[in-house]
Amino acid sequence: MAVTTPEALRTQTAAVLDKVGFLRRFLRARIWHGAEWYITVLGGAILVTVAGVTVLAPVLAPHDPNEFIGAQFTVPGGGRQALLARNGEVPIAGDADLAGVVIGVQRNRNGANLAKRLGAEGVRFEDQQALVGGLKAGEVDLILIDESVGQELAAADSQLELVATGLGLRFVLGTDNLGRDITSRLIWGARTVLGVALSSALLASSFGIPLGLLSGFVAGRLDKVLSLTMDSIYSFPGFLLAIAMATMLGPGVINVAIAISVIYIPTFFRVVRGQVLSIKEQLYVEAARSLGARATDILIRYIFPNVIPSVVVVFSLNIADAILTEAGLSFIGLGLPPDVPDWGYDLSKGHQFLIAGYWWMITFPGVLISLVAAGFSLLGEGLSEMLNPRLSET
Amino acid sequence: MSPVTPGELLLQVCNLNVSYKTRTGPVSAVSDVSLDIYRGEILGLVGESGCGKSTLGRALMRMLPRSARIEGQILFHGREVLGFDDRQLRELRGRGISMIFQDPMTSLNPVQRIGDHLTEAVQVHESDGGKADLRQRIGTLVERLGIMRQRLSDYPHQLSGGMRQRVMIGLGVVLSPDLIIADEATTSLDVIVAAKLLDQLREIREEFGVTIILITHNIAQVAELADRVAVMYAGRIAEVGSVYDVFDGPQHPYTQGLLRSVPSIKLEDREELYKMPGEPPNLLSPPAGCRFHPRCPEAMSICSRIAPGLLPTMPGRLVNCWLYQEHSEKDGPAARTTARGAA
Amino acid sequence: MSSRLWRYILLRFILTIPMLLILVSLVFFVLRVLPGDPALAILREGASEEQLASFRAAVGLDRPLPVQYVDLVTSLMRFDFGTSMTRRIPVVDEIKTFFPATVELTLFSMLVTGSVGVLGGAFAAQHRKSPADYGIRVASIILYSLPIFWLGLMFQMVFGAQLGWLPVSGRLSPGMTPTETITGLYTLDAILRKDWALLGDALRHLVLPSLTLGLVLAGIFTRLTRANMLDVLEQDFITAGRARGLRERVLVYRHGLRNAFIPIATLLGLQFALLLAGAILTETTFSWSGMGRLIVDRIYDRDFTTIQGSILFFALLVASASLVVDVVYGFLDPRIRY
Repeated sequence: MAVTTPEALRTQTAAVLDKVGFLRRFLRARIWHGAEWYITVLGGAILVTVAGVTVLAPVLAPHDPNEFIGAQFTVPGGGRQALLARNGEVPIAGDADLAGVVIGVQRNRNGANLAKRLGAEGVRFEDQQALVGGLKAGEVDLILIDESVGQELAAADSQLELVATGLGLRFVLGTDNLGRDITSRLIWGARTVLGVALSSALLASSFGIPLGLLSGFVAGRLDKVLSLTMDSIYSFPGFLLAIAMATMLGPGVINVAIAISVIYIPTFFRVVRGQVLSIKEQLYVEAARSLGARATDILIRYIFPNVIPSVVVVFSLNIADAILTEAGLSFIGLGLPPDVPDWGYDLSKGHQFLIAGYWWMITFPGVLISLVAAGFSLLGEGLSEMLNPRLSET
Repeated sequence: MSPVTPGELLLQVCNLNVSYKTRTGPVSAVSDVSLDIYRGEILGLVGESGCGKSTLGRALMRMLPRSARIEGQILFHGREVLGFDDRQLRELRGRGISMIFQDPMTSLNPVQRIGDHLTEAVQVHESDGGKADLRQRIGTLVERLGIMRQRLSDYPHQLSGGMRQRVMIGLGVVLSPDLIIADEATTSLDVIVAAKLLDQLREIREEFGVTIILITHNIAQVAELADRVAVMYAGRIAEVGSVYDVFDGPQHPYTQGLLRSVPSIKLEDREELYKMPGEPPNLLSPPAGCRFHPRCPEAMSICSRIAPGLLPTMPGRLVNCWLYQEHSEKDGPAARTTARGAA
Repeated sequence: MSSRLWRYILLRFILTIPMLLILVSLVFFVLRVLPGDPALAILREGASEEQLASFRAAVGLDRPLPVQYVDLVTSLMRFDFGTSMTRRIPVVDEIKTFFPATVELTLFSMLVTGSVGVLGGAFAAQHRKSPADYGIRVASIILYSLPIFWLGLMFQMVFGAQLGWLPVSGRLSPGMTPTETITGLYTLDAILRKDWALLGDALRHLVLPSLTLGLVLAGIFTRLTRANMLDVLEQDFITAGRARGLRERVLVYRHGLRNAFIPIATLLGLQFALLLAGAILTETTFSWSGMGRLIVDRIYDRDFTTIQGSILFFALLVASASLVVDVVYGFLDPRIRY
């Protein structure tokens, strides 16, 4: 293996980079555009991460999002259980088999499952007080209890003794009101949210873009009628329209996507139409026409490629908005059936229990919604600045 | 007619350099420019688009964008303009030096009445004085310029193009500045209106004794109106002198080529229009030495290596060319190489 | 007022009619055509045949579509929005009860949006490409990306539950309900009747909801203001003004803003639709008894006529707002007036 100097390495790397055209342009853009580049890349990074999570959901999610796996309202980071015994009467040693031992558990699946896994027989108690009381009274020899609570009790009460800690599952973001793991729900929810948002953007663009192209290019009465229609729809509160459609169409992922997409058709229409109009006026189009180019040629070769940058921007912003609209619809209770994990739905459930102090049910879904929507917005805004720069001092 | 009567020295530019910071690198728009401007004269500043004349004009008032770097000296009434703080700059603008812009439609605030434009300019610089007096003063001024007093309550879009330009002049003179810079003031006007404007500028100079710098690419206007002319190329001054001297006997090869390219009405049938070879240089990486040397029919080997200086050939006549200067490394006049081979 | 202005206003007025017609048709389509069987869509499976039949009769679904359409349009022209199916009173009365609350919320939110948006946008435009500019831009994107209801929940959590400074629901504290209302806007009523305690209570209840709605919309509005201001500040008359010695601050905030103000004012008017949309979620979060809450509640109740009537009312609102904005624009822009 030849020893290479730092100089040689640098030139070699440069040579390699030269070949990788895209990468070079990508990095060059940073110098050219400055801060906008960072904004766009940040947005893109969020997008890629979320897309990755979406695709890898089955792998990443620790649990099934619909399974009532833990205790209700477990605090973020909580879930771990501890074994408590009466002082001095520990029936087992270390991690030995618990077969035949009777353990008191709380009324939740986490405890029952855990007991089963340990090979012991579980006895259900109504609440924590009864559970502790049962242990002290000798009804059971061991109890499974929340780790933090167990540690407190063992420290405070001389009658009780910690046998083991760190048992069972830990829920990084806690559980909701039905004991479902929030982390899993969030990961699976990404699929739902992105799926709906993407579908609605695709639907909207597939109607809005052709109509915009047509209207801008053909102009005349058709243009006037279409423009007025689109303007009217555009000026109508989009969310209200989505509510109306979601109500009448009924629940279901596809219905929600359709309901949301209608709001954005006018946006695609306007942007595309505007672009078409301004490009049509350009001298090079006039020149082409004077040379006898057909209308379809002009449309495909001149107009369409110039429309694409704006379309990409609108698409990105559309997805951002669709995410928020979808969350809003779920929050009100319209749209998705309850067995589909969804961030908006989690928020609506969290709202109900906020007063009881369970803050984590709304915080995490909300942060995620904001993050993903912001990511797409940043991407769209950054691209918009880079692709349509303002003429000004450099 | 005698050359310009040297009045008192009003503005002195010494070794001025202006470069713009762009994404692709620094662009040298004005390079080592020195110029003297005398009170009461009309100086024409001519050159092709991009030669730096507008930049130079704006630099005098520090009206350059934030991406510009200025070095050198600008002495106005002996005071260093480049060292002015914000307050002094605002004093200078409008009162010491004022500017008349190219497009009168966009240079006026569409939601502000004409009269308000003028009163505001005055009020910024003179805090005392009653409103009635002010209105009287403004009214007199506009009438002198050929605008009816009633029009002061109109908005810019209600006036014709020519009237708008007269308002621009009004804004340029309302504070009785010492120097007016007309930056391509006639470029967007049609020929007749432009002629009227030039007449008005001449009148202003006669009546008020204002000094005027006329920045334009239209040589004919300069020949008609100006006393002296400075020819700029690629950010440097090629030649300065009285209008008669320079146009009757241009000394710098660029000036010669410029004057030859002006189509004459007496063009013979088979004569082609003269076209200067080559193209204006890229100011990101301008040619070394004299910036005109790649296109110069009289280029010598020294021209591509060392830049000449703007030195006098006669009293009141300055030329920036090795043809009229000596240098130790310069070959004799016998040994010349044409531009075509020069790297 | 010049004849030019009159002609402009008349033209805009005439244009409102097709716009309104399009909106009504849209609503008609969504509510009556799209679902196939609106009765089934509203009442869901599990409804008996009699229920479905009586629903259809009550709403007029048993008649052919064109007849339904004409009926709808004619009743709208009489400002007849139908009768509520659950409460058996004219929808107009329902609207009269709930609309003022939305108006109040919208007005105060517009105040927040306007001040934050305009000042932020102008400042960002003035200090273009500075860290402050980028900071404001990113902040406004983040603001707009927050779900309205989530921001509201956060506010409720922090200011209501944890700090206890401000009330988190309703328009007034229990026991403060006014006996008779003049306008329905509690703040205005309180001022008119010089009931300062009522005013204070109403204002305290308005803080969180209007901050929520106002801030989220300020995110978009800042962006728009900035864009407009940048356009204006690039124009020649600003440079010309600078050449006359005008201060930067004067140039930006007086000349720049006055020029940008016209498109910005129109933008604020167009934001009306966004305000209404956002109000629905805000009202739900804060238990604010306005039109948004009305619609959401009646959706649960399956009260089709109220839903239909409310949505049509919104359409009417939007069309009128558009007209008002255009007229105001005509007054503001001297190029149209003269």
